[in-house]
Amino acid sequence: MTDVARPATMALQARRFGPVNWIGCWSLLRRQFKNGFSDLHFTILGPVISNALYLLLFVIASASLTTLDPKAIVTFIAPGLISFSIAERAFEVSGANLIFDKHERTHFDWLMAPLTPTEKAACFALSSTIGGMVVGSAVALMTLLFVPATIAHPGVMLFFAAATGMMHGLIGTLLGIWAAKWDQYTALHTFVLLPLAFLSGVFAPVGAMPETAQRLIAFNPIFYLIDGFRYGAIGEAAADLRVSVGVALAINAMLFAWVHYWLRTGYRLKT
Amino acid sequence: MSSQRTLVRTPIQTLVPRHYSTINWVGLSTLYMKEVRRFMSVATQTILAPMVTTLLFLAVFVLALGHAVDTVAGEPYMAFLAPGLIMMAITQNAFANTSSSILISKIQGNIVDLLMPPLTPLERTIGLAGGGLTRGLAVGIATWVAMVPFVPLSAAHPLFILFHAVMASLLMSLVGVLAGVWAEKFDHMAAITNFIVTPAAFLSGTFYSAERLPPLWQGIAHLNPLFYLIDGFRYGFIGHADGSLTAGILVLLGANAILLWLTHRLFATGYHLKA
Repeated sequence: MTDVARPATMALQARRFGPVNWIGCWSLLRRQFKNGFSDLHFTILGPVISNALYLLLFVIASASLTTLDPKAIVTFIAPGLISFSIAERAFEVSGANLIFDKHERTHFDWLMAPLTPTEKAACFALSSTIGGMVVGSAVALMTLLFVPATIAHPGVMLFFAAATGMMHGLIGTLLGIWAAKWDQYTALHTFVLLPLAFLSGVFAPVGAMPETAQRLIAFNPIFYLIDGFRYGAIGEAAADLRVSVGVALAINAMLFAWVHYWLRTGYRLKT
Repeated sequence: MSSQRTLVRTPIQTLVPRHYSTINWVGLSTLYMKEVRRFMSVATQTILAPMVTTLLFLAVFVLALGHAVDTVAGEPYMAFLAPGLIMMAITQNAFANTSSSILISKIQGNIVDLLMPPLTPLERTIGLAGGGLTRGLAVGIATWVAMVPFVPLSAAHPLFILFHAVMASLLMSLVGVLAGVWAEKFDHMAAITNFIVTPAAFLSGTFYSAERLPPLWQGIAHLNPLFYLIDGFRYGFIGHADGSLTAGILVLLGANAILLWLTHRLFATGYHLKA
């Protein structure tokens, strides 16, 4: 044993971090991705294949049954599908991770870590946003098989892609914290989130819908996200872009505050 | 103490193997009821969820294309689409029931509960397929009922509806058994679902009429057994079929017979199960 000379005055102190615990954040992010991307071929290939099938269906159905131009339909639907796949993946990254953690009781790993609620919420949101956008990019590449690439406003497109990912990541976090079992988690996904996404103008121009449907859709936040993303991609929007941006910012701020509150109080996590 | 009472046993009675008649009815019904209870206990996920997603598909396609479609096979697009969608829900859920039952049992290690009881391979096949059949029909009926308020559905030939619903559930239950026996991880099952079952269901003429496709695509569609399921099932509702009904019935009977035999072989040899 070597004698370690230690100055007598130096007592153990709480470790200090700067305003942001970067190492902690980086570790939590890496942990999120390790879980979510361990089976990359399925998380990416699955959505790519199923979205290719949707597009193929629309091409076959519109070409054989209607006089509509399949190209125009695919051009319209493709951005919606990209947006939709971002949303699904983002939701999954946070939500499924959390439920799994709670089930295995490994959520203490990050509850105990010296991270502020803001840092945790930001990490969950960011990991979902990135995860969603990776899958979204893969789906976007796939759509090139059907239609040539169009990017009317790259900045707008990127903004709405990120906003969609973040929003669904935060919703996934909330659901993951709230749900006690897989049942509740999948039930809310199937009965609330999926209908909201499907009936948001992903597949059909809102202008062609009946009056009542249009009025209802105006209350669906996902409609604004998809509409904004589509504007970024093909330069056509059904809603005012400023409204869409406002909705995207407001809903993300609200959800972030909500997640922050639950992480701060430890609702359903520390009990 | 009461626990130390000696048991009185007749001295000469020796243990003999229990004998069953041709079919072990108790065992068979136990296996079947286990399969049914398994999905009924989470009916929200196994019946209600598929019902909702099927309705969403209906809404999406009708909203996107309905206004531009005049009629398909003499019917409004919605009435053409609905039977195909019900059939899609039936096939996917019949498949999901047997495949997940076997795979989860294998992963959790309680597959011995299926292999050890005194059941013949045929009884095992029937018990499992019966569970999937019940789930498929339950989802089909639930989806049908849910669609009635939105879609004017008549039943031109009720027997065709019933025959094809049963054939479809049985076919996909047996495919599910094969997939469940073969797969070792959830990944394998996800691959089969994503790359084989869903594409086969999607491209089987649910959403469009095969009659109006170019000849090459029409030929490909006719190679898909699910095409005959949907076509015959739809004939039961609207009285119009794209392909030959006789050919369809023969294909379905043949496919089911082959699958029954194959499943029976798997259980008889213990392939991937008793190794």
